[in-house]
Amino acid sequence: MHHLKFLRGGLAVYTALFIAFLYGPFVVMGILSFQKGPEGGPQFPILEWSTYWYRHVLGFAPPSRVAPLPIGEALVRSLTLAFATMVVSTVLGTLTAQAFRERFRGSGLVFYLVVLGMIVPGVLLGLGMALLANNLGIDRNWWSTAFVLHVVYTYPFAFLVMLAIFNRFDRSVEEASWMLGVTPARTFRKVTFPMIFPGVLSAMLFAFTLSYDEFPRTLFTAGSDVTMPIAIYGTFAVEIHPNLFAFGVLTTLFSFALLSVYGILMALSVRRARMRATGIQEEIA
Amino acid sequence: MAAYDLELVKLRKVYPGGTVAVEGFDLQVERGEFISFVGPSGCGKTTTLRMIAGLESITSGRLMIRGQDMTGVPTEKRPTATIFQNYAIFPHMTVRENIAFGLEVRRLPAAEIRRRVEAMIEKLELGDVADAREASLSGGQKQRLALARGLVTEPEILLLDEPLGALDANLRRSIQEELKILQRDLNITFVFVTHAQSEALSMGDRVVVMNAGRVEQISAPFDLYTRPRTPFVARFIGRNKIIEGTLAETGAGTAAVQTRFGRLRGVAVSDAATVGSPALVVVPSEYVKLEAPDSTPEEGEDSIAGTVTGIDAVGPLAYVSVRLDDRQSVRIETHRERIAGRGMEPGARVALRWRSERATIVPDMG
Repeated sequence: MHHLKFLRGGLAVYTALFIAFLYGPFVVMGILSFQKGPEGGPQFPILEWSTYWYRHVLGFAPPSRVAPLPIGEALVRSLTLAFATMVVSTVLGTLTAQAFRERFRGSGLVFYLVVLGMIVPGVLLGLGMALLANNLGIDRNWWSTAFVLHVVYTYPFAFLVMLAIFNRFDRSVEEASWMLGVTPARTFRKVTFPMIFPGVLSAMLFAFTLSYDEFPRTLFTAGSDVTMPIAIYGTFAVEIHPNLFAFGVLTTLFSFALLSVYGILMALSVRRARMRATGIQEEIA
Repeated sequence: MAAYDLELVKLRKVYPGGTVAVEGFDLQVERGEFISFVGPSGCGKTTTLRMIAGLESITSGRLMIRGQDMTGVPTEKRPTATIFQNYAIFPHMTVRENIAFGLEVRRLPAAEIRRRVEAMIEKLELGDVADAREASLSGGQKQRLALARGLVTEPEILLLDEPLGALDANLRRSIQEELKILQRDLNITFVFVTHAQSEALSMGDRVVVMNAGRVEQISAPFDLYTRPRTPFVARFIGRNKIIEGTLAETGAGTAAVQTRFGRLRGVAVSDAATVGSPALVVVPSEYVKLEAPDSTPEEGEDSIAGTVTGIDAVGPLAYVSVRLDDRQSVRIETHRERIAGRGMEPGARVALRWRSERATIVPDMG
């Protein structure tokens, strides 16, 4: 009994610390983003509460000694890249997981080759890609070399998500469709895909968020037109102003909005699944 | 030559890795026949069904539907429909959409699709739930939906893979009857896989008993029950008393076996067995009568002795447990009044008698 109490206390402290470290930086960033501008710096105390830095980020502040963040185009690039990566990785991941539903020769090897993409250290991969591109005389661009690495990195995540989904998938539903005279291709579109859609959504979310804030693989491969994380990193070299924090808050809110959409879509399909489960329970009762 | 509805010739299935799932399966099915496959799990009955459906490849042998070789024909091109054990309802479609799904790919006019779907909904009494999804259907409704969805495409052969396994006993009985009526009504061939012998025997026009990938016997239910041809069938089907011995004489469709209870006679299922080889005397316990040990057997009866170990009475029925002198036990169903006042109580000696033509002599291949 005594033991348990101690353990429980320990776990409570651990959880509290975990949450503090998880949200602490964000809270500090959030507070400092309301620092007075343009004179206030990225530290306490808050001289005066203001929304100056938000206006600064969005380009509504009058010109001052603080240069605007060079993120406009970088943000568009990052979003475009994340979107393209999401589409390609989710399609590849789903198709690969579909292939893995049956044992094939060398499936073990292929599995590790795919998963390697998320295991290999990112900086090394980025550097390797940059060297390869140089040797082959290929220009490095965010939409070419960096894009390939983003797919290499996020594809295993999408693949693993879909593998888990297919593991629980009842194959006889597809067989039922075939026996009705429906071709395998149409069966995939009309039966399989609607049923695995929640998983596809998860895979998409993984691929998008991982690509959106990808840094090490992008640093050497994006060329001169950089993505958002690289652009932000670039501003560190000069001087840090609270406009970065304001931007951090905005982009976090954007991520939350994405997560909310995902959450709502998931909740809808879970509710459908629960209705199915209650149906079964009623039938037993 | 009129083609059979379904014909299997030396059908064989070997899984990658070398496991033989089905071996030497020969079967001819007439149009409109109800064929049951029964056997313990892993006997190959479901694999055979899946080969007929085209969901499993055939290693060797031939599979023909209405004289057409089905080898290499994919599932969606075969004139079969399958009812799966878990029904495999499309969860994201309503009952009506489930039924219409198979017709929509056939390029039928929309009005024709609607007409056939509604007819099927009416036939299987799914009107109340036509717009519901799987989530809100009961087990019986899912079962009927699976049937409606399979039948609406008008298959030549309906394949049923333990379709009643997930239902409770009462529902199962009523659906068994519905299925039988439906099958007569449609006059199409049903192939019904089950591990429950009562289901196989009560529904099938003929029953295929499988064990370890091989066909043990294909017979009408009554023949199967009363005239098993292999030791496996004798043990698996019915409630048989089985007595081991060696074949003592054969002739004119009958045989005698020397057992520890003396020489017992019966109908021989095989003329090939040679005198001196191991054989089983199989007696359906329903044909066994209990008599006083000192009474004289009638002409044509065989008799063995045992000791009563217990009597269970259920209403007018009584189940008498008897331990034979070879230490085996046998349970005989009889009526309470037939044993009343005859001294049949635990510990009493008793004679078990049956007419010898009721017994079957089965070669004991081990």
